[in-house]
Amino acid sequence: MRYYHIMIAGVGGQGNLLLSRIIGDAALSKGLRVRLGETFGAAQRGGSVHSHVRIGKEVYGPLMLEDEADALLALEPLEGLRRGVQYLKEGGLAILNTRKVSSIDVNVGVAEYPSIEEIIESFRKLKARIVYHDFTKIAEEIGSPRLMNVVVLGVFAGIAERELPFTLEDLKTAIRGRVPQRWVELNLRAFDVGYEFSKNYIMK
Amino acid sequence: MVVHIVGLDKPGSRFLLQGNEAVARGALEGGVQVATGYPGTPSSEVIETLAEIAKDHGIYVEWSVNEKVAFDVAVGAASVGARALVTAKNAGVNWYMDMFATVVYGGLPGGLVVYAADDPGAFYSSTEQDTRPLARSVGVLILEPADQQESKEMVRLGFDYSEKFELPVFVRSVTRISHSTGDVTFGEIRRERNKVFFNRHYGLPFRYNVYGPYKYGGEVGPSAKHAWQLERLDSIKEFVEEVPLNWVEEGNVDVGVVASGIGYSYVKDALARLDSGVKLWIFKVGTPYPLPTKKLSKFLSNLREVLVVEEGDPLVEEQVRALSKDCCPEVKVLGRGSGTIRSFGELGLAQVLRAVSNLVGSKYYEPSDERRKVKAEVRKIIAPRSSMMCAGCPHLGTYWVLRFALHKTVNKYRDRFKGAWIVNGDIGCYEMGGYGLFAKEIEPSKEKVTKRVSFDNPYEILDTNYIMGGGIGVAQGQYHAGYSEGPIVAVAGDSTFFHACMPALLNATYNKAAITFLVLDNSWTAMTGHQPAPTTGVTATGSPSRVYKIEEIAKALGVDDVWVADPYDLKSAEESLLKAIDKTVNENKTTLVIFRRECALQVVRRLTREGKVITHYVVDTGRCVGCRLCVQLGCPAIGWDKNAKKAFIDPTLCVSCTLCAQVCPVKAIKPSTEEVVGVKGV
Repeated sequence: MRYYHIMIAGVGGQGNLLLSRIIGDAALSKGLRVRLGETFGAAQRGGSVHSHVRIGKEVYGPLMLEDEADALLALEPLEGLRRGVQYLKEGGLAILNTRKVSSIDVNVGVAEYPSIEEIIESFRKLKARIVYHDFTKIAEEIGSPRLMNVVVLGVFAGIAERELPFTLEDLKTAIRGRVPQRWVELNLRAFDVGYEFSKNYIMK
Repeated sequence: MVVHIVGLDKPGSRFLLQGNEAVARGALEGGVQVATGYPGTPSSEVIETLAEIAKDHGIYVEWSVNEKVAFDVAVGAASVGARALVTAKNAGVNWYMDMFATVVYGGLPGGLVVYAADDPGAFYSSTEQDTRPLARSVGVLILEPADQQESKEMVRLGFDYSEKFELPVFVRSVTRISHSTGDVTFGEIRRERNKVFFNRHYGLPFRYNVYGPYKYGGEVGPSAKHAWQLERLDSIKEFVEEVPLNWVEEGNVDVGVVASGIGYSYVKDALARLDSGVKLWIFKVGTPYPLPTKKLSKFLSNLREVLVVEEGDPLVEEQVRALSKDCCPEVKVLGRGSGTIRSFGELGLAQVLRAVSNLVGSKYYEPSDERRKVKAEVRKIIAPRSSMMCAGCPHLGTYWVLRFALHKTVNKYRDRFKGAWIVNGDIGCYEMGGYGLFAKEIEPSKEKVTKRVSFDNPYEILDTNYIMGGGIGVAQGQYHAGYSEGPIVAVAGDSTFFHACMPALLNATYNKAAITFLVLDNSWTAMTGHQPAPTTGVTATGSPSRVYKIEEIAKALGVDDVWVADPYDLKSAEESLLKAIDKTVNENKTTLVIFRRECALQVVRRLTREGKVITHYVVDTGRCVGCRLCVQLGCPAIGWDKNAKKAFIDPTLCVSCTLCAQVCPVKAIKPSTEEVVGVKGV
């Protein structure tokens, strides 16, 4: 494997950067090279954030190119589509959290937020394999909406298990290493719940 | 307490480090003794990281009030023989150029590494400025890393090189390295510390005094020191022929690439994607100035065509072109300067791939026309997401008050003012007041006449915005030029006030500029990630310090009329601001209103740490009349349900600042719980 690419898209405050580091640590433990390229705007919270995750034997810089993402972790639907249309390859895997975060452009009425149906339909047109659900709701049921990112990671790990260059255990070890002590148990639970979800999910 | 990875004594181990963390590690491996800087994305994490490990490793680390002071402090440390590091973002480099250009006249005995994080593409900056030409104009060695590993090595080596030539070494990174993360193999931490000493004539008479009567080549004073520096630069030019940071990778054709810094990583990434028997010659540049001209001439002599790949200005390209004219005029030199790669915006991998694939004569994936069409269709529904201030941000309250106070003032003085005020912005979170809405398209106006603009959100309130501390000076120029069709206002944050506004404010009172100045004091350097400021009460390494009151400083700077307002209390804050503007426009006074409230994010963090659960407000849809005033606050927690024509509040974002409840004319917004726990109070 030359490289494996994951694009993580969301808004500030959703734990985008934590996810990229967890995946990076798991890849590092397998002796692979890792590059994580992050771009976030000026906003601390609520702004558009996306991370390029590149792992493999031949990675140098932090950027992937158009249609080069093997997978897209969309923590927010509109941001997922914004990055997905640019980076997700044909046949690539999209894990889409359907919980919307509105924007000022939409709120003041100068833009319109597309419906979830339109977003899903768009991914289909782009020939993506798509798994979608309100993962924030699952996270809330586990104990906090902030666990949503790790639920999405668990879903991704379950669906992509056989194509990933690291194991579930590697990811869990990375979670233990990256999450503050008092949050570790809840995060591991979120990961497992996401993983279980994926095993029962029938892709349409 | 978690120990920061960067401080671990684990030579040979691999860790994921952000480029700036790698720089901090390089400083540790290079035995840094003093590290200074002013926060600026994408450079801040160097000092943040070093501050965390400062105590364990016996390093002095400070957030200075601005880059110029940071640079001077680092120079002082190196003047007594210590190893020093100074960090800044691209814009910050402009701040310290005076000392940078001067200290090279005589140099320093201690190693001084000057780290700059440029921002091509201007993700976090006012400009895409390349700082390498600045360092070149000063005449020092420039190192440019290709990735995080090299960031570490170059900073470590930078101290050695600096001491070898007794001149500062400039290490130039870019966002895609400094703010990206990569695997880095650790080396040994240098425990040895340079001896601290002071000897006025050490190695050079009057070493630390450019005016000292040092004689050289028939000159005396600065010119003689300049001659000394140029001699050193000649030795550096010899030295770069041998450093392990420049190397050649052999090819099998007569075309090649000269790649500097991140450009090298992009070239390698591009070649990894092109399955071709063609092997390009590659000259990897680690010292964009001075270039190893002998080595490079030899490289060029084998080639017919060479592509120069570098991020920023064509600094290497122009040197290669000049060199080729001497050594091998038949070589065609391509790059940003020749127009092969566009000269603005980020260099990026896509452009490099295109240029390299042309050289190799092999094509890489391009989306089919059909796929392009699908993408264009899909993009039509993707609504823009403009940058917003955070939920409950005190600046939302300040901008609300400012908008209405300006309206009321121009209405009150309708006979005098045409209604076009000017609000001069500055750099900090509140600069978002000038970001506008991405979804709006604005046509340029062709008339040289005063025009009033209208807007209904805080993201369009700023009329001008340039640099740190710029707004307060610009406002004075507008006044002295005779602008009189509306009040003239400037805004700045607390950290920015200390950074650059104090001399400008004294200038305003001394030269009698009738402007109203607003300081948005949230007790932190918030935008760059909440570094402490003189308003915070702690230093970079967490030791308690005094809390500086801006009102006291302002009075000392000659401002007679100062108000302190609470942006979470809209009514009384507006009264204060109206008084201030009134005083300015009627009595021609420089007035100041300090809007003081701690950054909401920091308050939320503290409450959460204390185990408190933040409560939220709700919209009573029975009462809501759909006037959208609350939406106009521009708070990300407030949404608009276009079907029901009612506002709603996102409970996960709301932090109970109470602003929307204050603006609601029908009292439809209320706390969701009897007991309110939020940023305004518990």
